Amino acid sequence: MDEIIIKSGKTFRSMFLAAAHDAPELTGSGICGFDVLSGREFSTHVVLEENASADIPVLIMPGADTRMDFRIELAGPGASCRLFGLYLCPDTENVTINVELFHRVHHCSSHQLFKGIVSGKARTGFYGRIVVDPDAQVTEAYQENHNLLLSDTARVDTQPQLEIYADDVKCSHGATIGKLNEDEQFYMRSRGIPENEAKVLQMVSFISSVLDILPEGNGREKLAAYVEHAVRTSF
Amino acid sequence: MENDILLKIEGLRARVEDKEILKGVDLTVRKGETHVVMGPNGAGKSTLSSVLAGKPQYTVTDGAVTFMGRDLLKMSPEERSWAGIFLSFQYPVEIPGVSITNFMKTAVNSRRKALGEEPLTAAAFLKLMKEKMALVQMRQEFAKREVNVGFSGGEKKRNEIFQMAMLDPVLSILDETDSGLDVDALRIVAEGVNTLKTPEKATIVITHYQRLLDYIVPDIVHVLKDGRIVKTAGKELVAQIEEQGYDSIN
Repeated sequence: MDEIIIKSGKTFRSMFLAAAHDAPELTGSGICGFDVLSGREFSTHVVLEENASADIPVLIMPGADTRMDFRIELAGPGASCRLFGLYLCPDTENVTINVELFHRVHHCSSHQLFKGIVSGKARTGFYGRIVVDPDAQVTEAYQENHNLLLSDTARVDTQPQLEIYADDVKCSHGATIGKLNEDEQFYMRSRGIPENEAKVLQMVSFISSVLDILPEGNGREKLAAYVEHAVRTSF
Repeated sequence: MENDILLKIEGLRARVEDKEILKGVDLTVRKGETHVVMGPNGAGKSTLSSVLAGKPQYTVTDGAVTFMGRDLLKMSPEERSWAGIFLSFQYPVEIPGVSITNFMKTAVNSRRKALGEEPLTAAAFLKLMKEKMALVQMRQEFAKREVNVGFSGGEKKRNEIFQMAMLDPVLSILDETDSGLDVDALRIVAEGVNTLKTPEKATIVITHYQRLLDYIVPDIVHVLKDGRIVKTAGKELVAQIEEQGYDSIN
């Protein structure tokens, strides 16, 4: 496992992208990161010292089979981490995301938000474990995983796991698996928006809360266009 | 004259789940006419508008509906919209994450594409939005709001009339538009509807109460009771219902 230590007061920003093809349209967007090609397993271990912070977006595109393991330790007071991402699996993809997030000391915060759109015969799994050590008082740890399951033959697994040993903490987790709202679709169609376009609007709106976490600007716009194009043409 | 007929409903029967609601409805709407369909709760008013709009949960079991000579029942909801039908919903749905601007731009350009026209440029579209928002007295900041999310009842209804102005339909069906509106909003909705009226278009107002009809004057009034139209007359029928109730109509 690669180990990355974020020194006191520093910020780490890096995107993990798994895609079946290169993404030249993202060049110059200011989003730097590790490109993980399809079919690989990828593990990363991040340790944050005092007042260090990490922003880690994850993007798994159609056609990519991947397993990503994240082990994140908040080891110094005041450390914070945001781990967030999307997985788009329209066909036969096999995607697993494992997160192990440790609050070792007091006054740290972590936020996780993953959303997936899963269809065809794809299989995805999100396994998110948060451990709050006994000395990690005044901890804030939040985790959410929301999925759209769009076919009878696809499969989504979502498994949050909280182990909390301190008592002055704010922790929550949420996991949902749902489908696209048909009343919304009918309303849009009654205004002349064709059925497949209505579904695209719904899917783009579903993933927008994840993209909105990225800093505003050219990078986010390019990424949003890249993702929206994939949603429009793959589902 | 036959080519003045926009909508012709003959012997329409429809059910939702196992319950038959419409039991043989006949209705003909010609260009330039304003029709009102009134009736007690449970008569089938919302079922009628849902069937005309093509809502999936409703099944037509008998009868025919033609719109401008075309078989309406064979058309998808979007095809009916492109053909020129607009339904203003009784309970408009919220669409989180989709702005009014994005929603309307997609609707307007989808229609243009279906009719073989070029999409509007961004500038032309914004101009159209501004114009129609002003027409229905909708504040400009609503353009960025998510469709109907957090809107009051009156704001939702005004949004329906705004969409009608943007899409410029031939036949507008207003489903219980006056429920949940205060008097000022009522007047604005009615003004919007009256402003959009032309001799080439028609409107069907579906309502339980008489209030809206103080502002939108009907040409023809129908009473829908137990799934059938039991009486058709002029606007004097409205006063009779208000004074004597639906039981007096047979």
